[in-house]
Amino acid sequence: MRTLTEPFKIKMVEPLKVTTEEYRREALKVAKYNPFLLRAQDVFVDLLTDSGTGAMSDKQWSGIMMGDESYAGARSWEHLESVVKSLTGMEYIIPTHQGRAAERILYSIIGGPDKVFISNTHFDTTRANIEYTNAEAIDIVCTEADNVESFAPFKGNIDLEKLEQLIKERGSKAIAAVIMTVTNNSSGGQPVSMANMKAVRKICDKHQIMMVIDGCRIAENSYFVKHREEEYSKKSYLEIAQEMLHLGDAFIMSAKKDGLVNMGGLLTVKDKELSVKCQNLLIISEGFTTYGGLSGRDMEALAIGLTEVFDEDYLNYRVKSTAYLGEKLKAKGVPVVWPIGGHAVYIDAKKLYNQIPVEEYPGQTLAVDLYLKGGIRTVEIGSVMFGKYDEQGKLIAAEQELVRLAIPRRVYTQSHIDYVLDVFDDILEMRNQKNGYKITYEPQFLRHFTSHFEPIKK
Amino acid sequence: MAKINKRSWAEPYKMKMVELLKVTTRPQRIKALKEAGFNTFLLKSDDVYIDLLTDSGTNAMSDQQWSAFMLGDEAYAGSKSYYKLEKAIQEFYGYKYIIPTHQGRGAENILSQILIKKGDIVPGNMYFTTTRLHQELAGGTFVDIIIDEAHDPYNEFPFKGNIDIQKLDALVKEHGADKISYVCMATNVNMAGGQPISMANLKELRAYTNKHKLKVIHDMTRVAENAYFIQQREEGYKNVKIKDIVKEICSLTDGCTMSAKKDALVNIGGFMGTNDWEVFEEARNLVVVYEGLHTYGGMAGRDMEAMAVGIKESVSDNHQKARIGQVEYLGRKMEEYGIPVVKPFGGHGIFVDAKAFLPHLTQDEFPAQTLAAEIYIDSGVRTMERGVVSAGRKPNGENYYPKLELVRFTLPRRVYTQAHMDVIAESVAAVYERRNKIKGLKMTYEPKYLRFFQAKFEQIK
Repeated sequence: MRTLTEPFKIKMVEPLKVTTEEYRREALKVAKYNPFLLRAQDVFVDLLTDSGTGAMSDKQWSGIMMGDESYAGARSWEHLESVVKSLTGMEYIIPTHQGRAAERILYSIIGGPDKVFISNTHFDTTRANIEYTNAEAIDIVCTEADNVESFAPFKGNIDLEKLEQLIKERGSKAIAAVIMTVTNNSSGGQPVSMANMKAVRKICDKHQIMMVIDGCRIAENSYFVKHREEEYSKKSYLEIAQEMLHLGDAFIMSAKKDGLVNMGGLLTVKDKELSVKCQNLLIISEGFTTYGGLSGRDMEALAIGLTEVFDEDYLNYRVKSTAYLGEKLKAKGVPVVWPIGGHAVYIDAKKLYNQIPVEEYPGQTLAVDLYLKGGIRTVEIGSVMFGKYDEQGKLIAAEQELVRLAIPRRVYTQSHIDYVLDVFDDILEMRNQKNGYKITYEPQFLRHFTSHFEPIKK
Repeated sequence: MAKINKRSWAEPYKMKMVELLKVTTRPQRIKALKEAGFNTFLLKSDDVYIDLLTDSGTNAMSDQQWSAFMLGDEAYAGSKSYYKLEKAIQEFYGYKYIIPTHQGRGAENILSQILIKKGDIVPGNMYFTTTRLHQELAGGTFVDIIIDEAHDPYNEFPFKGNIDIQKLDALVKEHGADKISYVCMATNVNMAGGQPISMANLKELRAYTNKHKLKVIHDMTRVAENAYFIQQREEGYKNVKIKDIVKEICSLTDGCTMSAKKDALVNIGGFMGTNDWEVFEEARNLVVVYEGLHTYGGMAGRDMEAMAVGIKESVSDNHQKARIGQVEYLGRKMEEYGIPVVKPFGGHGIFVDAKAFLPHLTQDEFPAQTLAAEIYIDSGVRTMERGVVSAGRKPNGENYYPKLELVRFTLPRRVYTQAHMDVIAESVAAVYERRNKIKGLKMTYEPKYLRFFQAKFEQIK
């Protein structure tokens, strides 16, 4: 097989700092063993997130210079609006400074006490925004997703039987919306099939329930649909995305992923009355309807990014380079969520560090070790992010203890990835360690961002 | 009338990059305005020749800022650019802890949620649209404690942004200090026409609030412009640098919200500042819900870089002299044509008195909205209404009828030249000549919140 090459060359670089293990040990102490609190300049390979960390193309940078910063009715807004209308087929386009603002606006309108949201899996900020309105968020991902090692083409699918059953139990009036997260980030960046999406649409039609598509990685999902769903093999990635998004009643996007930009978000809706409510809220906390908290240049870059992301060569490179890391890790004996998703590789930390109890956060431990050994920054997606406490204050663990290696778009070369693979040799030697971490400080919401930790010494 | 000495304010910069403008015809503008429902907010910027809608986010950045822009560190957590911004805010404003937000209203939202309890009173030197709304949504009631002079467009008192301490004292006596969330103190009061607060008044406020253990929160979006007026008008500050005046103003307050899109010379960005660790801690947890992680708060790394440089440039004496010199130039030109303008001239724009301009219209016929529409039709100059439409409705549904019914000509920083100023003044003069023929407007669509942004109008037949 020939080496996978990037369908671009480097036009601008950002120098990186090389640090020693001693230096990193100190940095970790200062950051209270939470990678979110590390200084970015102390990180060598930053796989914390693929959100807003991508490299823009020269065309996008040129768009940045063309940005129209008029407060109202800017050209850049018209450009973005027309691109998004054609992508989603929805009439009302609402720009926001990033995805969570779009979520907050929509969910605070359709949510509230006694309301239920059902999703394949709610992402962290989604769940926080929903629970903030005192509504309930229920995850019903398909059963194939339970087995993290087996191959199934669409492990991001929602469980249709459970969906029907939940609607019956709760009554369709109580259900604020079904949210389809594509790709399904929290369960390993796994795709959702067009067939599943269409079936959800049917169920929602039958019970008159709103269907929301959270599509921050809609292009990556289209890649999997084209290659794993026979009838779509001849369609372009853009056509597949359009077909999928046209199924929804509303679309939410953190544009910092497949929008190929560093800042931006979108909320689009079909219903006029709902759009007016959303716009009213938008103006209060985000900005006027034709900029929503984004500078003109950011809207311009997003309009171009949303076009570039559906390029065949780009998506091929994107998905295959992520798989490159995942497949090599698997070959080394590192337990990874299988198959590899579009934007990240997820390590099963519970299995890798099987001597560390979940109460001591094996995922957090692995994230700390990866930084210590190689200056690699990753994120725990397990009981730190999703854990709760029962009435006695005992941890209710998350179902999985994962560590995510998210790959920023168009940023790192294959040599960087090979370096990450080398660091895992050190990690594999440490797999029998017994001591994890405890939390010494935590805020009320979204604790993973700012919590403090301490190593447990037995 | 004093002669203008142009040499006194020649721009301390030259043009390095330009943006081409489209020139439109009168029939094109009439069509565009009708489509926009006679609301200048709803015009497409492509149909606008000179855009004086706002000075918010419309600034031209310097080559230094563009250069810093390229250094933006887009790491999600702990970005280098965040630390640069934090350092600039600590150095030039002096607030200990900062929370970046995507723009000013993001900071207002977070601050209001933390400091305001249901049933609280929030006194301030005149309302501002988004500020008051966030205070009301958090359960507070805004009470105006600006001095009476502020409501008289022709009173030439040099510090019309001052707070009437007696009005504040009356509130404390009526409700008790514990019912008052904080005093919201704006530098260069926008709705009063960009009017400054004096250092003496601020010191008096500090002494009073210390006595009653009240916080002073600084709405500081145009603090450097306020500092320029203190330097020019207040005894003892003639030889003090704007940089030092800004720092002194901030030192008399406990925290701030800032829309960096004004003074700080950027196109997007804002922050909340506080000297109180507990407020900071709470804000850091809230910002993640609304804005983004506390080391970017909804701003790209490059925008934090540009802001750090912009803050430094904004407190330069030469910059403010040219900035406010240009506003003054436009104001004097209009005065020469006999146009009724708010005096003294403000820092960020010229405010035309629409009641005096169109005395035959009642406030229910929206004189300022009407005038803004007429000026656009005449020349493609876009301005903004600051009168009965902007004031909105009281919680009980009645219209607020503000004393001031103004059209705001806001000047973006470092964007337009003197020749643009001449065109603007000439256009207003042309409309003034045919003022008696101008008919008012009626509102045909009214949104629930902040109606001035999206309301639609029709000409009264």
